[in-house]
Amino acid sequence: MPKLIIDDREIEVPEGTRVIEAAEHLGIMIPRFCYHPALGAAGACRVCAVKVIEGPVKGIQMSCMMEARDGMVVSTTDEEAMEFRRFVIELLMLNHPHDCPVCDEGGHCLLQDETVSGGHAHRRTSMKKRTYRDQDLGPFIRHEMNRCIHCYRCSRFYQDFAGGLDYGPLRLGDRTYFGRFTEGRLESPFAGNLIDVCPTGTLTDKPSRYSIRRWHGERGPSLCISCSLGCSTVANAYLRDLVRIEANYNESVNGFFICDRGRFGFYYAKHPERPRRARVDVSEAPTPEALREAAKRLARIAATHGPGAVACIGSTRSSLETMGALVRLCETSGWRKPVFFSDPAMQRKVRTAVSRIDKRLHVSLREIEKADFILAVGADPLNEAPMLALAMRQASRNEAAVAVIDSRPVVLPLDFERLAVARHDVEACLNVIMREAVSDEDLKIAIEKLPGGADGAASRAADFYTGIRNAGEGLPPEVRVRALKIAAQLKAAHRPIIVCGVDAVCETTPALAADHASILSGLKERAGIFYILPGANAFGAALLSSPIGEGASSFFEEIEKGEVKALVVVECDPLGQFPDRRRIEKALGNLELLVVLDYLPSETVKQAHIFVPTNTHYESGGCFVNQEGRAQFTPPVYAGGEPNRQETGGAHPPRVFRSHIPGGGPEPAWKLLAPLGAAPRGEAPELRGNLRSILDGLHPAFEQLADSPIPPVGERPSTYYARFLAEGALHVGSLAPQDCGALAFASSDAGEKAPGVGKDDERLEIILTEWTFGSEELSSYSPYILQAEAEKEPCACMQTEDASRLGISDGDLVALRSAGGGGLTVRIRVVENMARGCIILPRHGRLAWQDLEPSPVQASVERVKK
Amino acid sequence: MVSCAILKWRVDSPAPSVDAVLSDKSAQMTPKELEESLKEDIEKAYDPREQAVDVLYALQRQHGHLSDEAMREASRLLGMTPLELDELATFYDFLYREPVGKYVIHVCDSVVCWMHGHQSVMDYIAERLGVGLGGTTPDGMFTLLPTCCLGYCDRAPAMLINGRVYGELTGEKIDRILQELREEEPPLALDR
Amino acid sequence: MHPQVLLQNFKGNRSASIDEYRANGGYEALTRALLERTPAEVEQMVLAAGLRGRGGAGFPAGKKWSLIPEGAAHPRFVVVNADEMEPGTYKDRMVIHVDPHLIIEGVILTSYAVSAEKAYIFIRPSYESSALILERELEVARREGLLGQNILGSEFSLDIVVHRSAGRYICGEATALLNALMGKRPNPKQPPPYATEKGLWNLPTVVGNVETTACVAPIVRNAITGGSGEPAFTKLYCVSGKVKRPGCYELPMGTPLREIIEEAAGGLPEGSELKAVLPGGVSTRYMTPDLYDTPMDFDSLAKIGHRLGTGAIIVFDQHTCMVAATLNIIQFFARESCGWCTPCREGLPYIRDILTQIESGEGKDEMIPKLRRMSEHLWRTYCAFSPGAVSPLESLLTYFEDEVREHIRMKRCPFRK
Repeated sequence: MPKLIIDDREIEVPEGTRVIEAAEHLGIMIPRFCYHPALGAAGACRVCAVKVIEGPVKGIQMSCMMEARDGMVVSTTDEEAMEFRRFVIELLMLNHPHDCPVCDEGGHCLLQDETVSGGHAHRRTSMKKRTYRDQDLGPFIRHEMNRCIHCYRCSRFYQDFAGGLDYGPLRLGDRTYFGRFTEGRLESPFAGNLIDVCPTGTLTDKPSRYSIRRWHGERGPSLCISCSLGCSTVANAYLRDLVRIEANYNESVNGFFICDRGRFGFYYAKHPERPRRARVDVSEAPTPEALREAAKRLARIAATHGPGAVACIGSTRSSLETMGALVRLCETSGWRKPVFFSDPAMQRKVRTAVSRIDKRLHVSLREIEKADFILAVGADPLNEAPMLALAMRQASRNEAAVAVIDSRPVVLPLDFERLAVARHDVEACLNVIMREAVSDEDLKIAIEKLPGGADGAASRAADFYTGIRNAGEGLPPEVRVRALKIAAQLKAAHRPIIVCGVDAVCETTPALAADHASILSGLKERAGIFYILPGANAFGAALLSSPIGEGASSFFEEIEKGEVKALVVVECDPLGQFPDRRRIEKALGNLELLVVLDYLPSETVKQAHIFVPTNTHYESGGCFVNQEGRAQFTPPVYAGGEPNRQETGGAHPPRVFRSHIPGGGPEPAWKLLAPLGAAPRGEAPELRGNLRSILDGLHPAFEQLADSPIPPVGERPSTYYARFLAEGALHVGSLAPQDCGALAFASSDAGEKAPGVGKDDERLEIILTEWTFGSEELSSYSPYILQAEAEKEPCACMQTEDASRLGISDGDLVALRSAGGGGLTVRIRVVENMARGCIILPRHGRLAWQDLEPSPVQASVERVKK
Repeated sequence: MVSCAILKWRVDSPAPSVDAVLSDKSAQMTPKELEESLKEDIEKAYDPREQAVDVLYALQRQHGHLSDEAMREASRLLGMTPLELDELATFYDFLYREPVGKYVIHVCDSVVCWMHGHQSVMDYIAERLGVGLGGTTPDGMFTLLPTCCLGYCDRAPAMLINGRVYGELTGEKIDRILQELREEEPPLALDR
Repeated sequence: MHPQVLLQNFKGNRSASIDEYRANGGYEALTRALLERTPAEVEQMVLAAGLRGRGGAGFPAGKKWSLIPEGAAHPRFVVVNADEMEPGTYKDRMVIHVDPHLIIEGVILTSYAVSAEKAYIFIRPSYESSALILERELEVARREGLLGQNILGSEFSLDIVVHRSAGRYICGEATALLNALMGKRPNPKQPPPYATEKGLWNLPTVVGNVETTACVAPIVRNAITGGSGEPAFTKLYCVSGKVKRPGCYELPMGTPLREIIEEAAGGLPEGSELKAVLPGGVSTRYMTPDLYDTPMDFDSLAKIGHRLGTGAIIVFDQHTCMVAATLNIIQFFARESCGWCTPCREGLPYIRDILTQIESGEGKDEMIPKLRRMSEHLWRTYCAFSPGAVSPLESLLTYFEDEVREHIRMKRCPFRK
């Protein structure tokens, strides 16, 4: 480890550390524009110049381009170095417009900071400034090329880091222009990071243009709940208006970046139609009154029909507090245990996944980047958990091999091997690859190292591997050839990771993936399993859901049977988010009482007999457990209420004193739940201490949460890259294996059977899936997300051969009809790179996919005549 | 006495015959022939990207300049995005993203030609053609542009027109050249 | 008459044919090297001859080849840099036009020495005639079995292609050239990794200048046949500007400047007096008449703070305004900067504007220290482009400060009537 001296202070840093980073360890922030910890050095801006007094090359050197060496002596305050840095700033300011007053970057602008700190205050030239024409880059990002200082951060992020190929440097010299071939939306779903990465106001947040100065607002660390990864964000609110989300640094999860769904998908919190007042039947009522009324009616139904007539549905977007409170409510009131998943199968899959993440196999999102082999099984990262795709790209840039086994036309910003096979063949492919990559001898070694070898897992594993000897037989030859190639890559790998989805896979797949990962962990330096779960708190929901394996659909059956008379729906929208809408509609109609607590203006809210508004996590904070079991507390960022802009129509805040926050009625759902129950009402506990009391005894995993520190509310970042949540984060980890965990090695016979798709059969399996934009519940309320995906008509994908067999061509409008009478009309995209025998249908807000029955469902395809 | 060989390279008379000239070939090919031949070249290359500039050149000759449409065509042939190709097309001196005349006159303005009066050459041509620097004659025949050193400093002042260099320019010589270009397709790219 | 090595097959108005090349011992080196010598031996011959790169930096060619690590990956590439765009320089064109097979044999021998499978000749657009000549002669060589599979019955196979660039000075920088060849933006790339380890497509690559490559065959022939000459030690000097006979002259390396200008190029025209000389293209410093007797080689020039560069000698006489000349040169560099790093991208146009003001009579005294400061700082750039660009500026301020001040004092260019 080289030891060097910077500004008379000694520091020892790991081999390969750059001088600019070594200085940072000492708290010395050497000016920089092109250098970025995630993007590395480019040597382009030349503003990080230091003087090397002792070292391999002496004199003025760029600290970003230089690795720290033993015995180096570096000065950052040397007059010559400072003079050169001042010179560079002066050059950059030659052409930079003095439009800081109207620039959205003003106040958190790196160029401003460095200009001020460098002491350049007087323009000494009368040269004309260079001007450019800006481009319309879509609804997310505003382009102001005149402000560009050509640090190349944007193109290095966009092209190198994120793999986007529609934005980059054009022309040359002092005419260099960063933009697109033609105007239009940036295609990469990570484009929003350009806003954070750009050190000037060249690329700024378009939706929040002219609405906030960073220091004016309430600003604090927050969390993205638009998928299960749990990326750290910074939320900015101003005059009760949540205006802007930025990426927050989290060294274990998202690193420096977030996806555009997370950045621009928060508008549900300030949706003009967001229900902010409680309602009893058709009339508004104060929240306490609505709660009292709900409690009264629930008690009556429980008294009349027995407590089993009351059921509760939660969701995976609620905080752990809310989930816990719901479980407690049901427990204390003697009602049915609550459900958090749409159907029993999904609950079982998630519970299996959660039970299989143990210390050996657990990997964080950041560790994905360090893998040298990634096998995605039934996963579509870019659509299901976008930041996972970005992490996989970093692995790929470090020469990791990436392969995907999935029925969908998976697209990733990297080169990968694809096995496009039907859902029910995914396991066979996985087995072929593993069987080929693990020799009999290796298998013996691996089995010996298996945990729980004593309970028969070893013999089951051995039997299993014998059983899959011929796993590839049913597969098409070209798939087998590719599988062998992937197997060879896996064999050579040292740090393989299996990524597994739970949405579009058979029920047994998550367990199988973990089993194989277990075998690999006995053979490799490091092996891991990384699940994608449905929803920000699906992990927590799995811990809290009952092992009986019910889902919301089970309750709808009970309603039909007349067993359930009252339904409490907490932050969930069965009408908008679950399939089989007609049946749900009918079931809800049959209820004696529907109580809904939510913050979204959803269909279900409209159907409620009693509605009580709740808070978003921006207003109340909360704990969410991401898909790897990392519990993350997010503090409240602002007090909530109706945005001033909506209340006053954009005018200045009224100069009157009020004792209440306009539109500030909602409270966190967990606080509202207790009063609904039959149990004696206690005083609502404070957030800081409450989690323990809510979760106490509900699951052993939560015991770890007891004394964990919650980061101070509303803390502001003290350095350029703040790190709060990373420190506050806590790994909940393994669920006790007695549930459904331990090595399964179920014979593949247990898996779902292939639906009988014959040559003449026109029925295709419908696979419901996610799209990066347009299918996820919360972000679908964002006008900017809607605008971004507006140009892309939602469509279903069909394999070329199926299409030609059924006489369907690309762009045809077709009617899909299931045997149960469900169906919808959708445009078809004919795609080569997907499995045959199925149709991939996004749960898109503009498609009536809810009119289909729950999967697995098959449908006939018929072209609609225009 | 001069004690060394005095060498001066000129190709005033036709140089040894040159059989294959991509430049003129691609302009004469039908789009389909051109596409086939470009595909073949791309196939032969170690990586398609290697052919990026060649394809842009060929399409430029075919279309007169690199229109957005030509860029998209190149993108399709090479499997690169239009932006990736535009990064190159806007970088280089001899790729034109804007319409140009049939003949693009690049007058060298680097130091040796400057010493030998490049400005008067430029002014003379501008006057003769009635266009300014960067302009194209209304008949679409000529575009006048500056360029950096052509590597014909021994024959300064020099200019380059469609791959052919003309040196030791005088008013008379320029008139002759412009006249020739107006009248007939000049022989293959040889320096004069 | 000095011995002519690189231009020995000069045939007046046409290129030497393969037969003419052969008649003077051409391809003898290749034939014997392929059959009698190992690649390592060929590399050793070039190393021993002390051949230094003629592109401007003067790095020993044999040493560069030996930087390819033992057992490095294949395929390997050789790239010949014929992107000669240094103003005043045209020696590469001269060699290609005079004796294309000298280059071709040099490329094959270089490729043999480093076990490369493919070679590129990267050529600038204004040398279309050179590209055509090369393509034609490559076809001849292919027909003669000098290229392709199992060259001359040996185990060695090679193909050479001509790659046409679309014209930018920066492409002459080796790393930028490789980026250009890979269809990327031709920005330079600071090592590591070095091209010899990870060059073209991340594979081992040797980049060499045309003149350097031309020297290879004579060196190898000399070494194999035990000849007595010192073929590596002639140099192509391109003389242009205010001389009677501008042209490219092959003279012994180290011929004094006076001899090159006065004897080879016939001296300055009547009524002209020597004022300044750029010794190696516009990226070198002005030399004043007191250095007229300096031997023109890498070391002698380095010793007095100058550079041989490309050996392109540009002669200025007393009627030339040095401010205007420097402005022209800076204008060239400002236009050709790739725009990667700040001092070059923003600094050169800034200098251009200041010089324009001085030249047009709007100069102020405080501009001189400003220019000095710029010329110092522009050394601290990403690649060698900008240090080259400010060399004339720095020497303008050193040797011709009075002339600059006169512009400022007279509020006009004193050379303009």
